[in-house]
Amino acid sequence: MKSNTARSRAYKIFSIIVLIILAILFLFPLYWIITGAFKPAQDIYNPEPVWLPTEWVTKNFDNLFNKRSAPLYSIFGLSGPTAPAAFRWLINTVFMSVTAMILTCATAAMAGYALAKKRFMGRAILFSLIVCAMALPKQVILIPLLKEMSALKLYDSLWAVIFPTVGWPFGVFLMKQFSESIPGEILEATRIDGASEAKTFITVVLPMVKPGIGALAIFTFINAWNDYFMQLVMLPSGENYTMPLGIASLQAETSIDMGLLMAGAALASVPIIIVFLIFQKYFTQGITMGAVKG
Amino acid sequence: MKLKKVLALLLAMVMTIALVACGGGNQNDPAPSTPDPAPAATPDDNKTPDPEPAPAEPAGASEITLWTYPIGKWGDEATVKGLTDAFTAETGIAVKVEYLAYADGDDKVNTAITANAAPDLIMEGPERLVANWGANGKMVDLSDLIDDTDRSELNAAALASCTHTSGAIYEYPVVMTAHCMAINRNAFEEAGALQYINEDTHTWTTQQFIDAVAALYAHYGDTVGAVYCAGQGGDQGTRALVNNMYGGTFTNAEHTQYTWDDPLNIKALEQLKSMDGIAFDASLAGGDEIAKFYQGALKMAFCWNIAQQVNPNQADTGAEKTVTGDDIVFMSFPSEDGNSKLQGGIWGFGIFDNGDQARIDAAKEFIKFFCDSEHTVDAVKAANYFATRSSAADGSVDLSGVWADDPIMNEYTKLMPYLGDYYQITTGWAAARTAWWNMLQAVGTGDDVAAAVAAGAAEANTAAAG
Amino acid sequence: MAKQAQSKMSRVLQRRENVAGYLFMLPSLIFFLGFVIIPMFICIITSLTNTNMHDPGMFGSFIGLKNFSDLAKDQVFLKGLANTFIIVIVSVPTVCAFSLWVSSAIYKLKGPVLSAFRCIFYLPVVTGSVAVTVVWKWMYDNYNGILNSVLKSTGIVEKGINWLGDPKTALWCIILILFTTSVGQPIVLYVSALGNVDQTLVEAAQVDGATDLQVFWKIKWAQMMPTTLYILVITTINSFQCFALIQLLTQGGPNHATDTVMYYIYYTAFKLTEQSGHFGYANAMGVVLAIFIGALSALQFKLAKEK
Repeated sequence: MKSNTARSRAYKIFSIIVLIILAILFLFPLYWIITGAFKPAQDIYNPEPVWLPTEWVTKNFDNLFNKRSAPLYSIFGLSGPTAPAAFRWLINTVFMSVTAMILTCATAAMAGYALAKKRFMGRAILFSLIVCAMALPKQVILIPLLKEMSALKLYDSLWAVIFPTVGWPFGVFLMKQFSESIPGEILEATRIDGASEAKTFITVVLPMVKPGIGALAIFTFINAWNDYFMQLVMLPSGENYTMPLGIASLQAETSIDMGLLMAGAALASVPIIIVFLIFQKYFTQGITMGAVKG
Repeated sequence: MKLKKVLALLLAMVMTIALVACGGGNQNDPAPSTPDPAPAATPDDNKTPDPEPAPAEPAGASEITLWTYPIGKWGDEATVKGLTDAFTAETGIAVKVEYLAYADGDDKVNTAITANAAPDLIMEGPERLVANWGANGKMVDLSDLIDDTDRSELNAAALASCTHTSGAIYEYPVVMTAHCMAINRNAFEEAGALQYINEDTHTWTTQQFIDAVAALYAHYGDTVGAVYCAGQGGDQGTRALVNNMYGGTFTNAEHTQYTWDDPLNIKALEQLKSMDGIAFDASLAGGDEIAKFYQGALKMAFCWNIAQQVNPNQADTGAEKTVTGDDIVFMSFPSEDGNSKLQGGIWGFGIFDNGDQARIDAAKEFIKFFCDSEHTVDAVKAANYFATRSSAADGSVDLSGVWADDPIMNEYTKLMPYLGDYYQITTGWAAARTAWWNMLQAVGTGDDVAAAVAAGAAEANTAAAG
Repeated sequence: MAKQAQSKMSRVLQRRENVAGYLFMLPSLIFFLGFVIIPMFICIITSLTNTNMHDPGMFGSFIGLKNFSDLAKDQVFLKGLANTFIIVIVSVPTVCAFSLWVSSAIYKLKGPVLSAFRCIFYLPVVTGSVAVTVVWKWMYDNYNGILNSVLKSTGIVEKGINWLGDPKTALWCIILILFTTSVGQPIVLYVSALGNVDQTLVEAAQVDGATDLQVFWKIKWAQMMPTTLYILVITTINSFQCFALIQLLTQGGPNHATDTVMYYIYYTAFKLTEQSGHFGYANAMGVVLAIFIGALSALQFKLAKEK
């Protein structure tokens, strides 16, 4: 018994050490982005590792901001003042991710409820279609989608990225799993009280699936933010670039000016990381909620 | 409930419109291939929802798009803005510029073509504009822009390269150069390898190259030169290196067949493979190699030209210097007698046929403005290469002295006589260059050289046969 | 009479259910049908044609199953298919196992420590795939990448390894990056699942003299099954989203060592090669991939149902 506890203590210490090493490894890329963004060229091209910038410079950011410019925003043909393109990219990315998130949550909550609680015809077929399409990579439908967007005159606009994201059925699946747990008796009771379908949905269903919507919101937001592929195909103009696309284009153009790339990567990741750290609790709660029911 | 209903109705409407638009799109599809001015619905101006496009102004389109690859400073926003502003001031036609990279620029253009949203103007070389997009009927024939005076002024070889076998001219050439290689002079000095190069003529022999690499490797103990093959970017460098070492060829003189299974090329590849200081590096493309050279990691670059010499790695840190301040010397590629054949680079403008005559006319105006007027000087200077014509605007603008007061450009004219055959317009070019870098990767990973070369050349020749 | 009324009643009810159901589905269906199912449908049709970039028209001429028989002979495609499956087969179980181990090691830690760990493992997800890819590209660099310089300075290797340029290592480098961006969510999920395990059962088993390992497998693992299935689903989805890594790091090279079907579709469609714009052919690849993925999803779903 005694040796057993000794062994388990040893295991505990061992696992803590491994965890700390792993944590350092996981933090390292971020550390490397941030320090890299402030390193002068000599440090960056030094074949020996330079752990901290020998001198903290902002030249990489200057280069990033001076390289390309774009109007800060353009809505209905109105353009904002010309600014470094990186800011426009950030605005585009936020707009795209938030819009995709809202649309997805709204449509998926309704559809998930219907799939779970409404016994309408074709429900089973629809649901299996959704399950099968869930893991489908967008590359599969790349060409038809491109032609469709072109026909809809949406090519080269952020909507061309937003709509397929909303169409991706994972959200419906998730919300369906959530809505399953709504007790039928409550719905029945509301119906007997004479509430309309819409009222039932808004006053009864929505509050009950709120955690699920939270989980889905996070999931969609991060996915949209990271969806490099659709952006690459659908957004050719510099002023419609998103942050990932912008950094990728910098890499393609400047080859391996790592300082500039790190500055771009820092600009792309630090805002969202800060948001994440502030709402960390809700993030983890949301994600967890998604799975407990899923 | 009301809100939901309205929302649902709205979405249903969107859906209906979508479907209708889909149908419309299909019917319009054949339009772009025939330069028929009838279909007023231009599939390409989704970016500019201007209600009055073509007919409003007599001059034609009020905005055209230009997509440019990073050709000298044509990839630099401030420079290009200066140029296009001058054009806009004179013609009233606005130019929307997008900057492409060699890494994914082709994909972008192809995507845009698929989406019926190709740019009006594109700036690149004949291997893309003529051999690919031109040959596939995507480009506008520019013959009407080139009269007899222009023909007499333009470099005949450059114009020939811009002319498709059908006789159509799909690119108006602006600048040209000979691609070369470069060495890090300080590193050569340290390794005692300066004795192998002739700094005056910028030439060396294959044996001198081999000795220099050996000396550098002995000194640094690491890769000093990379046969880069991550992709097609900068492949003219690896082709020139392999072909020149023992006098192999890439295509036949008639440009009908790929001949790079030449035993002399195999010999060169085997030689390169056996050299310790040379690595076949599948993680680098041409642009990366330049950056590595600029950073000092590599001591020689095979993807070099005068624009690089003037502004290494486009980093604006001083001409002829690496990031650490080492001197860069441009060199011809090594060959057995030192008399190499350099790869030509030709760049100019092409027009995509978007089926809108007004925009095509505006784009032609742009080409005239920068290729055949007093502004040609600015276009050439921005590109950092040599003009493809002796004079412009019917002889009124002399272009022979564009670089007269630039010592680096003058020094570089020493290499221009070595300019070799421009074979990049051979049929099946895109397949051939893909086969080339794939072959280099295969050689790099240890495949049998002769077999890899034979397989690659066979693939290229299948494409050449049509 | 009563029966008739009842069936009439139920028909009315059914109709109401149908109308309500579809009204609720409608907004979602517009997007799902419009931007997933219709393109997929077009994809299937065009995969039987020689549609391409250079001929006008949405559909070229019908060529039957020729695209598919060509695919069966296309070495690059087969290699890509193999690589795609290597990525999925390697990354899904390792992500699950790794995140399970990490979670079981951290879930009993004190609140702030626990959330610190959770955050750290989640960071690569939030950092964004392109930013992560770009920094890894630098770290893998064989001239001035940190990985080689550390290995060289500690004397583990003599000459730098060309991580992304060597067909033996390139795919694993990509899988590693994919791995770091995939474990965040599973760890968060497992931590909470472990926290929710019914403690009375655990205690009862311990009283009966079960070892830690037995407790883990017999009780905790069984209770976490739904979470595990969910994780399997999202990790599989994630593994198919590795396009950015390949496009930005290796473009399918060296020697097709990192080609995946997803990348090859893009390559065939839009890269400037002689084959570029062979949309019918590219769509045929899409169909093959979709069939495999559909089967995989159906399997997972079936597993979930049995549970």
